[in-house]
Amino acid sequence: MTGVRDGEWAVKAEGVSFVYPEGTKALDGVDFRVRKGEFVAVLASNGSGKSTLIKVLTGLLQAKKGTVRISGRDIREYSSKALYQEIGVVFQDPDDQLFCASVEEDVAFGPRNLGLPEAEVRNRVSTALEAVGAIGLRNRAVHHLSFGEKKRVAVAGVLAMEPSALILDEATAGLDPAGEALMMRLLHRLNRERGIMVILATHSVDLLPLFADRICVLQRGKVLKEGTAEAIFCDHEMIERAGLRLPYISGLLHDLKQYDGVPIEGLPLTVGDARKRLLELIPEALIVGKCLWRDK
Amino acid sequence: MTVPRRGGIAFISCVAALLCFPGRAHAMHIADGILPPAWAGFWFLVAAPFLVLGMRELRIRSGREPRFKALVGLVGAAVFVLSCMPIPVPTAGSCSHPCGTGLAAILIGPGITVVVASAALLLQALFLAHGGLTTLGANLVSMGVVGAYLGSGAFLVARKVRIPWLLAAFLAGVVSDWGTYATTSFELSAALAGDGSMGSLFLPILAAFAPTQVPLGIFEGFLAAGAYRLIRTRRPELMDLPQEEGAV
Amino acid sequence: MTELFSDIFAGRNDVLTRMDARAKVACAISALLAVLFSRNALFPAGVFAACLSGMFLVRIPAKWISFRIAGPAAFALVLVLLFGFTVGVTPMASGSFAGIRLTLMEEGVRRGLLLGARVLGATSVVLLLGAVTPAHRIFHVLLRAGIPAEWVEIAMLVYRYAFVLLEHAAEVSAAQRVRLGYSHPAKSMSSIGTLGGTVILRSIDQAVRTHEAMTARGYTGSIPFGPMASMGRRDRWVAISVPLLFLTAWLLVGRGQG
Repeated sequence: MTGVRDGEWAVKAEGVSFVYPEGTKALDGVDFRVRKGEFVAVLASNGSGKSTLIKVLTGLLQAKKGTVRISGRDIREYSSKALYQEIGVVFQDPDDQLFCASVEEDVAFGPRNLGLPEAEVRNRVSTALEAVGAIGLRNRAVHHLSFGEKKRVAVAGVLAMEPSALILDEATAGLDPAGEALMMRLLHRLNRERGIMVILATHSVDLLPLFADRICVLQRGKVLKEGTAEAIFCDHEMIERAGLRLPYISGLLHDLKQYDGVPIEGLPLTVGDARKRLLELIPEALIVGKCLWRDK
Repeated sequence: MTVPRRGGIAFISCVAALLCFPGRAHAMHIADGILPPAWAGFWFLVAAPFLVLGMRELRIRSGREPRFKALVGLVGAAVFVLSCMPIPVPTAGSCSHPCGTGLAAILIGPGITVVVASAALLLQALFLAHGGLTTLGANLVSMGVVGAYLGSGAFLVARKVRIPWLLAAFLAGVVSDWGTYATTSFELSAALAGDGSMGSLFLPILAAFAPTQVPLGIFEGFLAAGAYRLIRTRRPELMDLPQEEGAV
Repeated sequence: MTELFSDIFAGRNDVLTRMDARAKVACAISALLAVLFSRNALFPAGVFAACLSGMFLVRIPAKWISFRIAGPAAFALVLVLLFGFTVGVTPMASGSFAGIRLTLMEEGVRRGLLLGARVLGATSVVLLLGAVTPAHRIFHVLLRAGIPAEWVEIAMLVYRYAFVLLEHAAEVSAAQRVRLGYSHPAKSMSSIGTLGGTVILRSIDQAVRTHEAMTARGYTGSIPFGPMASMGRRDRWVAISVPLLFLTAWLLVGRGQG
């Protein structure tokens, strides 16, 4: 991360502090930076300042101290129209965000506010709904959607503004396992195929190592640690202090290593990785089935 | 068409019979089609100036405070929900529902409440067959205009004479509910009588609805007072909303 | 609390939902006017039958229709009895009930039938309109008809968030119920006040969050509504011919006193 010039940070918050009117100190000197095209997770337990950080990064709240720069420019210099074409925010509760009566109308809300011609609005609505796999919901009434569908339509509503960054608050909270995987793959695809920067605030750790380029751990409004998934989850003590946990599979291997002395190399963070490491330890004669990775 | 005196008892018992039907009693909303064209049009005309006034206030206040429209829309949704709450009325053996406009009026002012009530009434007519399109004007006058202005008027007067605010909110609920009920009865009696004999129908209808509406009004008072107390203790800053510009 | 809104059927794809909303509103308004101006029970009863057939045509469940019609039907029945017993001079039938002698009068029954039929006719028209037209299309028609955009915006928010708040209210009341919040009349009063207050508090918090979400998508004070697609030839034909049909039917059947 060192040696990166200022302009290369698409989002750069420095020394940001925020105190709510009733006195809660939600952010305390937070430094947070994201490169163009990165997938970054803000990992924190409840009440650690994730949502506040998101609101400060998107100009919905004004930091009491510190600066926020988007693409090198101070956030306060942006008009709201210009700002929200740069960054799109997806809120935790899709009901906050879906305020129109029908799906199509809601997704079209942003593009229409940009003053685009109607043909372009329709085009963007179609593209955005296709991107989240919700094109079939186009004419549905919003309140008839399931929770997972609402979440995806909320993402579409933001995508339709074609922002270069997507900031999501608890994008997977409340979703079932299939819905969670679907949402994470969707974000991954948007990030890798379209180069949209993704900032994901979450407290669920299991899927992060698969998708996030970098993780930033917050606790009580302060940054505890920042780095790759490996660097973050190796610091067992810090994870516990932040009120978080290892991904389940890593927890299992960690315990095997620590308490049972099983000689596992490093700390696998994904199921695939863990399987590979465990198979390395089992004598070949005991493995009955064909093992794909060995064949390769 | 006159209503002879001998019909009084039969009349009351017939209307009372309506309340014994299963399902929701339609006491607060006048059903579609019941008002003759002239009366339907008349009530639209009565409601119109209040609606225009409310819209003007809405424009002014949302110009000053950008999130005001979202607030009005959401309070409107809350009024809609409150007026969907089925309330068992033991004296009539059936269910009815509060109107919520008195409470709304002391929170966001009566002018805006009329706007909110008009939206809620249209949606209830369209999607719940509750009230109606041709009777929208009449229902807006009884629930929106009379309910809101009487409710907030009662609240302000009660506060002026230093009645504690909990009791003032209770009175606002009761007065707005009873005002709505009396207006609805008047509207119905005027329409049903056909010719000049409306006076003879007003009292019987009032009497027929009384077993449901009198306790319901008291109930609405408790609802308004309870809700007001909750909002006041949890979010005292919201209490500045109407005081700032109550439009009365 | 979990009321079935008629718009659950409006999302379907059938001959009536596909029709342009303007055409449907034009038909509904002309039908309502014809019903309101009718002077005999036959005409509104015909409209009622036509709307019922329309609902059956697009397979709206009979159970739902009867649930929604029950109230107005009861009201119609009461009107017939009410006027039958109290108005008129020509006896039709008589009997005694609990010692009171009751006579049904012909003129009164007629008037009751007319009013009752009007109620049923008008209610069924609105019911059909609501069951085949999604709310957002109706909002568009209202805008086109010159209703101020601010009002339509408010109505849309009321519609959208009524469902969110209904769910919330149902949860709160269930939570009160399972902890015996309604076990005693005095407790019920206090519980219902708290429930009403929570709904309003939630609505105010939701307003703040919704406004934030709107701002984040470029909201500057008014929701932009897109244009309506132009009406197809067949719908335009419907929008003209059906109201004419109602006018003709009214002239032929509805105008005369029955």
